[in-house]
Formats: sequence, C-alpha cells, structure tokens
Amino acid sequence: MRARVLLILVGLACLAALPLFATSYYLYLAELAMINVIIAVGLNLLSGNCGQISLCNASFMGVGAYCTALLSTRLMLSTLISLPVSVVISALLGAALGYPARRLSGLYLALTTLGFLELVGIVIEEFPEYTGGIRGLKVPRPEIFGFSFQSNASLYFFVLALTIGAVVVGYNVRRSRYGRAFDAVRQSPFAAQALGIPVARVKVIAFSLNAAFAGFAGSLLAGVVGFIDPPEFGVLTSIQHVTFIVVGGLGSITGSIAGAVLLTALPEALRGVQEYGELIYGFVLLGTLLFLPRGLVGVVAKLKALRSAKPSAKELAYGAP
Amino acid sequence: MLGKGLRGLLCAAAALYALAGLARAEEPGVTQDGITIGAFGPITGPAAYIGLAGRDGANLAIKEINAAGGINGRKLQMIFEDDGHSPTKALAAVKKLIDQDHVFMIFCVAGSNGTLGTIDFVRENGRLMYVSFASAPGVTWPFARNMFRGGTTEVPRYGELYAEYLHDYLKATKIAILSGREEYPKNEGEALTAQLKKWYDVAPVKRAEFNIGDKDFTPQLLDIQGTNPQVIALFGNPAEAAIAMRQAKELGMNQPFFVGPTMVDQGLLTAAKQAAEGASGFALIPLLPTSSNPEMKTWLAKWKQEYPNLPAGRPNTFDLLSYADIYVVADALKRAGKDLSTDRLIDALEATNEYRVGAIATPRSFTKKHHIGNLRLQAMQVKNGEWEPVPFESKRESDILKRYQ
Amino acid sequence: MTWRIILQLALSGLSIGSIYALVGLALVLPFKASGIVNFAQGEIVTFGAYLALILSGLGLPYLAVVPLVLIGAAAFGMVIERILIRPIVSQPEFTLVIVTFAIGLIIKAGIRLHWQDNTFSIDAPFVGPPLALGALRLNPAYLVFIASMLVVVAALFVFFGYSKFGKAMRASALDSIAARLMGIRIGSVFSAAWALSTMLGAFVGLLLGPVIGINPEIGHLILKGLVAAVIGGFSSLGGAVAGGLLLGLLETYAGAFFGATFKNVVPFGVLILLLLLRPQGLAGASSARRV
Repeated sequence: MRARVLLILVGLACLAALPLFATSYYLYLAELAMINVIIAVGLNLLSGNCGQISLCNASFMGVGAYCTALLSTRLMLSTLISLPVSVVISALLGAALGYPARRLSGLYLALTTLGFLELVGIVIEEFPEYTGGIRGLKVPRPEIFGFSFQSNASLYFFVLALTIGAVVVGYNVRRSRYGRAFDAVRQSPFAAQALGIPVARVKVIAFSLNAAFAGFAGSLLAGVVGFIDPPEFGVLTSIQHVTFIVVGGLGSITGSIAGAVLLTALPEALRGVQEYGELIYGFVLLGTLLFLPRGLVGVVAKLKALRSAKPSAKELAYGAP
Repeated sequence: MLGKGLRGLLCAAAALYALAGLARAEEPGVTQDGITIGAFGPITGPAAYIGLAGRDGANLAIKEINAAGGINGRKLQMIFEDDGHSPTKALAAVKKLIDQDHVFMIFCVAGSNGTLGTIDFVRENGRLMYVSFASAPGVTWPFARNMFRGGTTEVPRYGELYAEYLHDYLKATKIAILSGREEYPKNEGEALTAQLKKWYDVAPVKRAEFNIGDKDFTPQLLDIQGTNPQVIALFGNPAEAAIAMRQAKELGMNQPFFVGPTMVDQGLLTAAKQAAEGASGFALIPLLPTSSNPEMKTWLAKWKQEYPNLPAGRPNTFDLLSYADIYVVADALKRAGKDLSTDRLIDALEATNEYRVGAIATPRSFTKKHHIGNLRLQAMQVKNGEWEPVPFESKRESDILKRYQ
Repeated sequence: MTWRIILQLALSGLSIGSIYALVGLALVLPFKASGIVNFAQGEIVTFGAYLALILSGLGLPYLAVVPLVLIGAAAFGMVIERILIRPIVSQPEFTLVIVTFAIGLIIKAGIRLHWQDNTFSIDAPFVGPPLALGALRLNPAYLVFIASMLVVVAALFVFFGYSKFGKAMRASALDSIAARLMGIRIGSVFSAAWALSTMLGAFVGLLLGPVIGINPEIGHLILKGLVAAVIGGFSSLGGAVAGGLLLGLLETYAGAFFGATFKNVVPFGVLILLLLLRPQGLAGASSARRV
C-alpha cells in the first residue's frame, strides 16, 4: 500500500517537472495522453464496469469540444463557464441516449451507439454556420479570469490538474455504491434487479457519467489543439477509445491510464516507419488482443499470481484468468 | 535535507536548459553543409494520395538539386512526418519538426484541415512555412510574414475562375451544381455560387449534394435534369464523378460537365470512359502527367526511374505541385545567400517573380504585400478521350488581392 | 414526380438495396453461427474487388475471375476464423469488436500501401449502355445486382433447407450444445459460416468493382449492411434481405424528395428508431429484456 502511494507521488512529481526539460512536442503529447486518460476512465466506467458497450464515445467528446468552441468564440465566455457547461450538455446528451437504450445490450446497444455517432456527425456537418461544418473550427486557448493559458507550461499544468481531478473523481465513483451498482449490473442485471438495484437508472447514470468525462476531455482537446473538425470525432476515434480500455484492462482505473498513455504514444512512436504506421498499429493491436486478452492489467495480475501461488482477491471474486 | 538536494537538482536542471537554449541561438536546421527542411502531410488514411505524392515529388526535386551542387554549397535534407489528415496529428508533426528536430523551415504538403491546425503555432513560432497544397484562405490571411502559399490557389479564386469560365467562355447562364459533402468539394460549390452572384448576378438553377462514398446519383441527376441546365458543375472525387457522369448519360442527359481540379486527371477518364467526353475543368498544373509535351515526357521518365514500383495513378497532380514548389523554395534559398536566416529567405521569396522550373509548372510570384504564389489555373477539356488544354485566359481582375493592399 | 422518375428511382433503389442485402447477409451469417459481428466485412468487400483486380490483371476474363475470387475469399475467411477468431471467441464482446475492426484496418492499410488511392476499373460483361424499355433506361448492371441477389438467396434457401451441412448449421445456430450432442462438429460449422460470409462479401466486391471502380474506401458500405441486418432483426437471413431492399428504396426516395442530407440521415435514423423501438427487427422474435 505504502509502495503504491510512493509510486503515485513519484509519478506526479515527474509529471510536474516535465515542463522543465521537455520540448513543446513532448508537452503536447503528454497533454494528448492525459486527455485520453480522461476518456479512458470515463469509458471504462460505462463499458468496463457497467458492461455497456458504446461505440459513440467520440461523439460526446465532439459535443464537449464544439460546445466549448462555440461558447468561447461566439459568446466570449471564459473557460470557467464554457468547460462546465460543455460537460453538463454532454452529460445530458448521454442520459438522452442512455434512457431509451436502457433495455438494449450487446450487439444492439453497440449498433444504437454507432447510429447515434453517425447522426451527431451529420448534425455537425449540417450547420456549418455554427460548427464550421467540414471546414472545421478554430478554438482559442483556455482562459480564466482574463489569464489565458498561452504558454506551454501553463497549459500543461492546467490539463494536468484537471486530469488528476478527473481520475480522482473516477476512482471515487468506482468505490462508491454507484461503482458497485455498475459492477452488479454488468455481472447479472437480473440478480442486480433482484437485489433492489434500479438497473435502468444505473445504466442511464453510467451513460451520463461516461458522456460527462468524454465531454470534459473534448473540451480540453479543443483548447489544446486549437482546431477541431468532424473526422476527429468519428467512428475510428471511437474505436480508438475502446482500444484504450481493452488493451489497458477493462474495469480498472490503472488499466485506463496505462492503455491511454500507451496507445497515445504508439502512433507517435511509429512515425519512423512513415506510411507503414497504420498497418503496424493494426498488427500491434491485434497481437495485444490475441495474446493479452485481459489487457495490460491482466498481465500484471498474472505475474503477481505466478509469483505467489495463492489466488489473488480479484481471482477469488471473478475467477482465475 | 531533502529540500536542499531538491533545490540543487532544480538549479542544475534550469542551468542545463538555459545552456541548451543558448546552444540553439544560431539558425536551427542550418549547418556548414546542410539545410534541413521539415515536411508534413497525410501518408496514411483516405487522403494519403496527397501526402505520398507531395513527399515523393519533393524528394525527387531535392535529389536533383543536391546532385547539381545543392544550395550555396549546402545539401538539402527533408524530414517527413505523417499527419493522417488530422489537425491534432498535424500539430504534433509540426511541433516535433520544429522543437525536436530543429528544422529550418516547414514545407507543408497537407490538406487544408491539417494545415489549419498548425497555423497558429507556426505563426507564433516564427519558422517559415511554405504551403504547397492547402487552399484554405487562413494560410495567407490574415497576412503573416512567415506564411507562404505556392502551388494551389485560394478557394475564392477557384470560384472566380470557374464563374468567369462558365459565364464568359462557355456562355452558360443556367448552371446546376452537384457537390460532394466534403471539405474541398463543398468549398468549391460555395465559391462558385458566391462568385456567380457577385459578378454576374446569376444563381445556379439547382444545387444538389451527394455523400462521399455514394454509388448512386439517380435522385440528384433526375432532380437536375428537371431544371434543364446548360452545364452541370460537379465537385467531388474521380470515383464518384465517373459514376455520376455515366448515370447522367444513361438518363439521357447530354449537358457537358464541369469538374473540379481533382477530377482533371487520368483516373476520371479511365473510370468514366466515353461518358467523360466533352467535360471541362481547371487543372492545378499546366500539363498533366499524361501529356505528350516533351518536357513532361522527360520529367515523367525521371520520376519513373526514381519510383519504378508505384501503382497506376502516380505520379499525380501533387507530385508535380510539390516538385515545382521545392524548386521555388530552392531558388529563393539560393538568392538568400550563404548567410542564411529566415528573414533573408522571406526577403528572397518576396522577390520571386514569375519563377517556374519549366513548362511543367505554373509561374509563382510573391510580393511584400501578399504571399499567394499562384492565381492561375489551366482550363482543360476532354477531347477524344484525353485532357487537352483550352485557350482560356482570365481577363477579370481578381478580388482577392484587394484586401492585401 | 412523373411515373418515369418513380420507376427509375425504384430500379436504383432495388439495385443498391440488393447490394445492401448481400452485405447484410454476410454480416448475419457469422452472427448466427458464433455470435460475432464481423466489423471487417466492409474490407472483405474491398478485398474481393482487389482480388478480382489482381486476377483480371493476369489476363483472366471476368467470368473466370468470379469463381476464383469466391474460392480465394472462402479460404481467406476460414483462415481468419481459425487463427484469429476461434481463440478469442470466449472473450468479452469489446475484444471481439476491436479484433474484427483491427483485421479490417490491416486489410485496408495493406491495400492502400500497395495500390495507393487510385481508382482502378476492370471489365465485366454486364457493364454497358442502358437498355431502353419505353421511357425507362435500365442499367444492365443494376439488373445484374438484383438478379445476383435473388440467385444467392435461392441458393442459401436450398442450402439451409435441404443440404445436410446446411441443416447442421441451422441446428448449431439454434442450440450449439444440443447440436454438439447430436454429433455436429461445431468447429466446422463456425468455419463454414465464416467462409460463406467472406464469400458473400467478396461477391459484392466482384459486383461493385466494375461498376463503381475499385479503391480502398468501398468498404464503407458496411454501415448500410449493418442497418439492413438490423431491420431484419440480425437473426433472420430473409429479414436481412428484406431490410437491405427496404433500406435501398427508402434511401433513394428520401434522397430524391428531400436531398442528400436526408439520404444520409435515413439509414441511421432508421437504425436508431428500430433499435430503440423494435430491436427484434420487423420480423424477428423479441429479444429485448425488460429491466
């Protein structure tokens, strides 16, 4: 336990010290990775813990991004207002999807979310006077009380602080009774219902939370990159989000962080192979899924179990891998 | 105790950082015998045909220039990064090139959205960025000393040329527009509509849209047929254009088509066959790779020798555009002299007047007031199954330059 | 709106609907057999088209290319099933979804690397000038699409209804444990389902290639195939066919009456409405649970 806390503190210290020696390229990558961590944590709550498959995560991210973009460029609102408003709007949209979809599961749910994603994309493109349509939209840097996060370091710390906050919130949700309700719904909706858990409401809350996290991340992305366009929030991006949690480890916060960081770094690391990058990415992904079906977290658990012959508490609860 | 050690560490880190900063005080990317250019564009994903051709055309030019002695005794070197046609990834590419690889300048062969994602960073950073393909006006407006656009012209200019050609040359007043719902085609459709209204007070008789990836255009074509236009302006990709043209003929529509630059290409002719006869459009380059012009044949032979294994469809327009633009940059670099700096290069570029590497390129000119290198497009028409140049010269003055005065 | 236009649109709609129907069938088959949706199906279509391109380039005429592509695709499907799908069949749904997406990504990236983005074309006997029928112009390719779909449906009907293996597959879809107990080799059934599915996908590629051109993005129509399958409840082959035709007609008429935006909205609007209101499709048995 002590070791874990120490590890986290050292990690945070390294992150805090990053602007001292990293170029703006690495700071930017770190920011992208952190935004993806927020995405992964949110998606894991919905899909990993609550077991609801969602292929439209990128849409909620897009909603958050476009809301922030419009609020800050059209209404000149400070990030202090535009960020929470974007999150709320995304959350509401998540609930709006989650409620009618509460009876669906598996394939049907996946397809519903896919349809939702395509419709959101169409809406974005249909109102170019507001959203810039296919030509995209410029977004100013985040700004609070007149202070604009123009410098590399200030933007980095802004994103870092918010990411830590989001991870803490995600962690607390998991440990709360909602988190336990999510797990119960995933394992057996019937049993959960029998235990008095309002399964439908829990699902809607899970969708809403997921959308909130995604909207939060989208809002940050818009400020960090400064320019957004519809393909950024399409099917491929949604799939990428799912890869974060599948490769990292379903249902686990650590897994979310690991998966998001790794899969943000991977395409950048593949720059050297130029046009073969996509192909190699596909193979790496496939390999990871075939050989590490429980994700990175599963690998760690397996190693731990190998070291001590006793089954871990996780295995006792969920069965051996 | 811990505090002291930590402070010491921080001081050392700060000192190192400062030293590193000092070391970088001379012009980045320029050494005794080399100039490093950073380039980016899409080489993966659906827009890969732009970036791959941009990279290959540029590399061919660089190889030739180096073989001929280089630039004032220095060899040119290019580091290329993928942007996957995404603004997020494009910004990563440019940050890497500038902050990590310390390139002297950026040569951009990306599409408009990728380019737009990087503009703020580059403007602020001060490194020179020469944009070869992106037609978004945001590249050159608002004016910034370190931003240049070479090969392609601005979207509003397309509108101006199209409108003038259709109205003054083809003498058409009933024009139907069929455009795909994607960045480039949508821009073109809107630019044409806007310009027809502005210059001639003419509105298109029909504006129809299709989705990229559509295989069937019957509903749109029937709709257009009802309005009986004289010309059908079609903006999209060669694959869809070919289908639409064939279907139009099947429906008994014989009006000539007018297509956007991406369709003034051998690909369209191969796919549409007879249905493309009589179609006209503007090409971004004065000669297509399939032209029988001897200069083009020579260039094509050089290209094929360098890239013997590439599939049909290459070289395409973008190979030629980036090839020509590298020569524009190289010419300016030479004039900037041995004591090279970004400022000197900007001055040299601004002095560029109607420069081109040969008949295979359009002349480029820059001034101190604006950095739009090219305002010309070449009108072409399909005659006997080949794209042939049409002797159309624009006579109207462009409105675009007015805001740069 | 004249009769001519309505009929012309109907032909258009039915022909593109036949394509959607075939893709829908290709998606439902492995789902019925092993519960997996093959999100790489779009790329299988692309694969079929490019395989036809390769064989065509060797000088073979179209009619010789067809059986070779079908055999090649079937083999490809069996290999994928054996090496990539079988080992992970018991993993969570997300893993399966991503695996099939990854397979599709690899196929598309590989094709793009080799052929780049040029649109190639191959010759086929059914591509030619339209046939006149009164005021109507009938594109022969459209007729071939519709006819092919009917032939495929008939063949599947015979196969599943009367052949031993077909009946074995139906039994496995109903209850795999009971089927095993009856001596049916589930592994072979899975393989066969995938082989059939990839064959169908490649067949679509064979049909579309000569008509719309061969480029890496033609696999995008998987989304339409998904909608077709959903209309049929994702459990009924006949439903997938009906769904495809319905979708093709809806799309075409919506596009004609309301413009391209609507044409885009129709498939996904239909998808969502059906899934939310009647996930069992227009014909299937109820599978949504009350929670």
